Amino acid sequence: MLVLTRKIGEGIVIGDDISITIVEMKGGTVRIGIDAPKEKKIYRQEVFDRIAKENRDAASWDMVDLESLSDNIIARKVK
Amino acid sequence: MEKIVTRFGEVEYIPENLLYFPAGLIGLPNLMKFIVMPNKKSGPLFWIQSADDPTFAFVLTDPTNFFLDYQVTADESERQSLLIEEDDPCYVLSVVTVPPDQKISINLSAPILYSPKTNRAIQVVLEDSQYNTKTPLPQPQKTKE
Repeated sequence: MLVLTRKIGEGIVIGDDISITIVEMKGGTVRIGIDAPKEKKIYRQEVFDRIAKENRDAASWDMVDLESLSDNIIARKVK
Repeated sequence: MEKIVTRFGEVEYIPENLLYFPAGLIGLPNLMKFIVMPNKKSGPLFWIQSADDPTFAFVLTDPTNFFLDYQVTADESERQSLLIEEDDPCYVLSVVTVPPDQKISINLSAPILYSPKTNRAIQVVLEDSQYNTKTPLPQPQKTKE
């Protein structure tokens, strides 16, 4: 991993269209400003990780479980 | 007609009818083409089978079947990904997780926006922390015959 040291107000540029600025540092947290094209999706790491994991979990189901669940859900709707 | 062998058996599909995720799913960017499978049972759940990797299949549902006030609209860049205009229809789908213990949950934090017009879909992230990746579905209750 590339590690750079920056001061408040300084930034880095990634490629031609992404720039990151250190906005504020306070009590162990850093506020970062990001300029990037709208179509570049930006996620907090833990949010991205959680959704990526949920997608993987969601892919490993069993047809038998789905069919019995479908039965229950129909029953529920009829009621 | 083409076919792939999945863990549920052989699946035939017409390549032109594939559901296309131009960016894949979050964390799974290579899964772009899906076959929409009819559920043998009636009901709100259906599933999609990846045509790129036969080991991946997802159960989906219309979340408003369970959460009436859940609404997600596509913003401009999302409409661009879907190749649609502002007044074109765009539906919301949610990924359902069906673990072996059948404690079924729905991912309200990362819904799928789907355009029936272009047959394209994207998975988006809602920053709103009230939505959870593992929201329990209201428990199905056994009906009395």
